[in-house]
Amino acid sequence: MTTLNSVGHATPRIDALKRVTGGATYTADIAVPNMLYARVLRSPHPHARIRKIDLSKAQALPGVKTILTHDNCDIIWSSGDTRNKRYLFNNPVRFAGDAVAAVAAVDRYVAEEALRLIEVDYETLPFVLEPEEALKPDAPEIQPGGNLSPNNQGKAEPAIEKRGNIEEGFKAADHVFEDRYQTPHINNAQLEPRASMAHWEGDKLIVYASTQGIANCRTDIAKDMKIPVEKVQVICQYMGGGFGNKNQCHDFDLMAAELSKRADAPVRLEFTRKEDFISVHGRWPTVQYYKVGVKNDGMLTAIQMRGYSGMGPYRKGAGDISGVEVYQVPHVEKTSYMVYTNKAVSANFRAPAYPQGVFALESVMDDAAHGLKMDPLEFRLKNYTRKFRDQQPYSSSGLEDCLRKGAERFGWKQRWRPAAADTGVVKRGVGMGMGMFPSSLGRSNAILRVDSKGNYDVHVGVTDCGTAAKTTMALIAAEALEAPLDRITVIWGDTDTCPYSVGESGSRTTVFTGQAVIEAAKDLKKQIAEKGLPKGDQFWRADAAPNPQLRDLARYSFTAHFAEVEVDTETGHIRVTKFVAAHDSGRIVNPLTAESQVKGGATTGIGMALHEQLLYDKRSGLPLTAGYYNARIMTHMDAPEIEVVWVETDDPYGPYGAKTLGEPTIIPAVAAVANAFFNATGKRVKELPLTRDKVLGALSEGALA
Amino acid sequence: MSRKSSSKISRRHFVEGTGAGLVAAATVAPLKGQAPGADVKNRTQGAPSSPPRTKIKFTINGAERGMEVEDHWTLVELLRDHLGLTGSKIGCDRGECGACTVLLDGKSVYSCSQLGVWIDGKSIITIEGLAKNGRLDPLQQAFIDHDGPQCGFCTSGQLMSAKALLMHNPHPSAEEVRAGMTGNICRCSNYNHYVEAVLAASAAGPSTGSGGNAA
Ligand code: FES
Ligand code: FES
Repeated sequence: MTTLNSVGHATPRIDALKRVTGGATYTADIAVPNMLYARVLRSPHPHARIRKIDLSKAQALPGVKTILTHDNCDIIWSSGDTRNKRYLFNNPVRFAGDAVAAVAAVDRYVAEEALRLIEVDYETLPFVLEPEEALKPDAPEIQPGGNLSPNNQGKAEPAIEKRGNIEEGFKAADHVFEDRYQTPHINNAQLEPRASMAHWEGDKLIVYASTQGIANCRTDIAKDMKIPVEKVQVICQYMGGGFGNKNQCHDFDLMAAELSKRADAPVRLEFTRKEDFISVHGRWPTVQYYKVGVKNDGMLTAIQMRGYSGMGPYRKGAGDISGVEVYQVPHVEKTSYMVYTNKAVSANFRAPAYPQGVFALESVMDDAAHGLKMDPLEFRLKNYTRKFRDQQPYSSSGLEDCLRKGAERFGWKQRWRPAAADTGVVKRGVGMGMGMFPSSLGRSNAILRVDSKGNYDVHVGVTDCGTAAKTTMALIAAEALEAPLDRITVIWGDTDTCPYSVGESGSRTTVFTGQAVIEAAKDLKKQIAEKGLPKGDQFWRADAAPNPQLRDLARYSFTAHFAEVEVDTETGHIRVTKFVAAHDSGRIVNPLTAESQVKGGATTGIGMALHEQLLYDKRSGLPLTAGYYNARIMTHMDAPEIEVVWVETDDPYGPYGAKTLGEPTIIPAVAAVANAFFNATGKRVKELPLTRDKVLGALSEGALA
Repeated sequence: MSRKSSSKISRRHFVEGTGAGLVAAATVAPLKGQAPGADVKNRTQGAPSSPPRTKIKFTINGAERGMEVEDHWTLVELLRDHLGLTGSKIGCDRGECGACTVLLDGKSVYSCSQLGVWIDGKSIITIEGLAKNGRLDPLQQAFIDHDGPQCGFCTSGQLMSAKALLMHNPHPSAEEVRAGMTGNICRCSNYNHYVEAVLAASAAGPSTGSGGNAA
């Protein structure tokens, strides 16, 4: 791979100064004259019909300006449910946390007091929390069409994927391994709580959103508020993380907009941390049944998976269970049921369908290797994917190098011993997992300008949710324009000044928007070559909206993670003592910020393996762990050092060969830790997270495992 | 502040501010002009009952000031809503995340878990007071160099915790840094880089010893 001038060099973020001086302005920092504060009242029941809402006391409270409920507001939040009608305020309410009313008042105290004064008469209904339960014939009905969520064609059927002939696959096998795995609902828990500040200027709506995609947020708001898209401006200059749950428009944007319209004043709506945990969305919980066939020599013959994803009562996310493609295997059958439940809504959280799928898949594969008395690394080297679904060549694949170089850095050969070799009270073990994530190509836009002094403006519709997207765009622009980085100014995060961008979801910004920057830069360079630099206060300008497509190729990023753990068999505590993350994301645009992504993603995956969950009380249907402490989000003390190994493949597509990075970073981490636990103890905990109760249960003959 | 009846900014002015802005500062700066130190008397006019108020004096980022506060304001509310110091963030408002960390008489505290009236006679340093005379604190520079902030929402809190740590223990081990900052959650989980940055700042020099304004 050729060395480049700007791309590929570790570069501090171009907005780092703002981030370390308190100068970065987030949505909840924005205050304007006459601004009202809004708060939301939420259902205390997992399922209930609202008989009556009495607002008289709340409305009589001085300082209360406007109250929205299902009685007076029928706005449909279309991106909140892609199958059914989901109103901003629903009746019946279908999960503990479903919005019942929103109040705008002169300050927070009045708004909160008003919530207490709203009297709601609920008729509680039976509820169901687990997807398998919800599919039983006598289960409470959550949506009118039944609890099996329909597919894209509107049919209430499971999603089925088949390749080869699964029966033949099992016939050809010498051994079959099968098991049931379960993963919980986990909240994204981004540090910035949801906030939206909305304001009308005549018939134009201005929303200071906390969003991963200003363009899709704007389109969605326009659609749901039933106004032309040009009448909506979405601004998001800094945002405090989202990991998938701040994409598109959210109910809080719509509530703020409607409250503002009715009160004729700017409205800032803020969620509390508890609301953020229970009423937004998190990773979908799953139940997965795997059956895997292998030959004596370790070659896979068949993978069968039947999975159930708990979507909560509204279908906001895809709900699939992914990962199988990382294996080369002739016979595959996957059946996935996306099921309505009365838990919090599930949707995208960093690599939405993968970490939970790969946890279960890689656990079964580890069992297979163990059963065959094979080194798990050898097993994977034998069976890793050579072609996508054994058919389509990859544009580039560094998976084998991720396995080999990652293992080498980790010292796998020296560290790995067969399971339960350690006889001490504190047992050491190692584990690994591998994964892949699509790195597609597609449309995004960029507008570049140059002035008479050779300064460049790069207009891109990114928000930079923490990924360093602005810096990435600046580096790509500097490279493509052959200009020094300090000549580049990035203009971002405002739909009035930025063109469409794909939005920071699916880890697509570097590839999609980066390519648009390159195309616009080519055009601008051509103009400068023809006309020279502009004179005086003139500008040359170049627009690009490329929409590159792949032909007969699959494009993926690949990864392998390696973990060493110590298990205290007396306390059930697991500590990660070494961790190596190897990644093929093509060319790395900025190694400094890319390392942050990997370390952050892997750490989040370790938390998912060890202790994070939104736990529900079976009898009341209420969430019990809605907060940082109780959900046991990773802290400084929990986080091990993550060593990063780059496998930079030379991919012919994407900006300078860059592939997707943000999301793959979490995928195999969960499995690596769980497999290390197995290697240490010889016991398998089949339900995440690996909390002490389950660990001790598994150690005492697996009573709870 | 913003609801003070005499301080109306015309809507036109507000929108000009937003429309013209190509970068963050230009977008929001004009909107926040009157937040700092604005008279709060009319703020809750019409509220159910006027909350009790108390006059207090304190030092904020080296400057002394007096103010009448509502007794139920938390310190972070006082800072963000009434002094215009929005660098301290609210991640949870219940003492779990550390995004609101400030120095109170040289010790790190969660400003969401302190009442504003309690700072009478005390000294507060916030993220806005960390750089002095336009010069970044070595911690801030190290946070930039080691790419501490991803989304940046936890960063002010991480910096203030790190500052408190280095004031009391100028040369901590990595383990001591983790222990000292464990009350500061980073969901981007950039813990490795935060620890590296604190160690680098501690190796870089003694400038963090006195705590500067915190004295
Ligand atoms: S906001 Fe104060 S600890 Fe979270
Ligand atoms: S940088 Fe995003 S929470 Fe810490």
